[in-house]
Amino acid sequence: MTRFRHQVASDVDLFSRALLEDPYPVLRELRDLGGAVYMRQHDFYVLTRYEDVRRADRDWQIFTSARGVALVPEINASQIGGVLASDGPEHDSLRAVLREQVSPRAINKLRGDIDRQAAELVDALIPLGTFDAVTQLAQRLPVQVVADLIGVPDEGREKLIPGADAAFASFGPLTPELQERLPYLVAFLDWIAEVGTRDRLRPGSWGAAVLDAVDEGRLPAEKAFPLMRAFLVAGMDTTVNGIASMLRVFAERPDVWEEVRNDPKLAGAAFEEALRLESPVQGFFRETTCDVEIDGTTVPAGSRVCLHFGAANRDERHFVDPDRFDLHRGSLDHLAFGNGVHGCAGQGLARLEARAIVLALTERVTTFELAGSPVRHYNPVIRGLQELPIAVTTRATAEGVRS
Amino acid sequence: MRVSADTARCEGHGLCEEVAPKVYELDDDAVVTVVHEEVPPELERLAEAGARVCPVAALKVIR
Repeated sequence: MTRFRHQVASDVDLFSRALLEDPYPVLRELRDLGGAVYMRQHDFYVLTRYEDVRRADRDWQIFTSARGVALVPEINASQIGGVLASDGPEHDSLRAVLREQVSPRAINKLRGDIDRQAAELVDALIPLGTFDAVTQLAQRLPVQVVADLIGVPDEGREKLIPGADAAFASFGPLTPELQERLPYLVAFLDWIAEVGTRDRLRPGSWGAAVLDAVDEGRLPAEKAFPLMRAFLVAGMDTTVNGIASMLRVFAERPDVWEEVRNDPKLAGAAFEEALRLESPVQGFFRETTCDVEIDGTTVPAGSRVCLHFGAANRDERHFVDPDRFDLHRGSLDHLAFGNGVHGCAGQGLARLEARAIVLALTERVTTFELAGSPVRHYNPVIRGLQELPIAVTTRATAEGVRS
Repeated sequence: MRVSADTARCEGHGLCEEVAPKVYELDDDAVVTVVHEEVPPELERLAEAGARVCPVAALKVIR
């Protein structure tokens, strides 16, 4: 019997609002369907299995970023040549501009300062008793920390969260929802062009270091704003949603919260496991530079390919009981930050921020519970929450009730 | 088995050291060093696991 090459295909719209409420059953079906599945809606291939996603992410020569990492040509055209949408020496020289600033060896010096900022935020929330852990906590720290590091002024920072959200949404299909968000993206871009200048940026900041690279001939002048924007956008919704997803687990799993509270060294493990389960960047795109065979399906040269980190991180072929939050899984090999030359440059900073929030909470808070239903935030590419109502008590409040 | 470390690519995330402290150490500048030129057989599995978690693919196992 002749075995024909088969093309495994699906009619699912991976970016629809309804699906993204709970994409995991469909992602599991896609994993079982085949290593590479052609998605008729929006015309791309999706990789959902851990080993395939990891291999493709590390193989930039075949799965290139240099033709953009979004779905549609209009957006890819605007990305090309940036740090996300380049490969090889061009990419390395862009990434090198802030390497010394962003690398863990540099940011570990910021630990005390970030811990203090997280403590101040939590101290202000405790008297409220209940609060929204997304807008009042998870969004606050990354905006402060990253905007301070890039060195932009306080005024205008409210553009960061909606601007980053719109920037990530543009990686997905051109939909009415994206149209609605574009004004926020434009406002953000205009703001960076206004404040990303020598006289507005804090001396010694990352933004100033980008301008230094231009002055020293290491970076073309027209790449300065895109690079500042890339770091600003990358440091927002990703960290925000990773932290919010972790806090949701604390609120829904008292056993996990108790364990972390009694042993705050588990903060790192809690964050990694939350990133694995609810990967903030669900997927980025690549383009094939040649025909590639994956699990019997030939993905033709020039295809858009979605590396679905969110699906890969729940692949039962790699993770035991993948839908379960396990504080002791020890799975540092998850793909939430990607892997390889495009592996997230700011992951050390994200870890510092998450750890700071966990420490601030565990030092002060006794009970950490839901005070209402969490509300999902719709974004085609980023997975996160709109609202996470939380009620906390401290030892002092608990004693107050008793006396 | 040996492990080659691309120190130009290493950003000091330290995950290799966390997974396999007997194989990988970060120096004072947070750049990775591989402790053994030839990885002892009993540490091979750990060495592999440590190389695998490198977020920027700076570690390569050579057999």
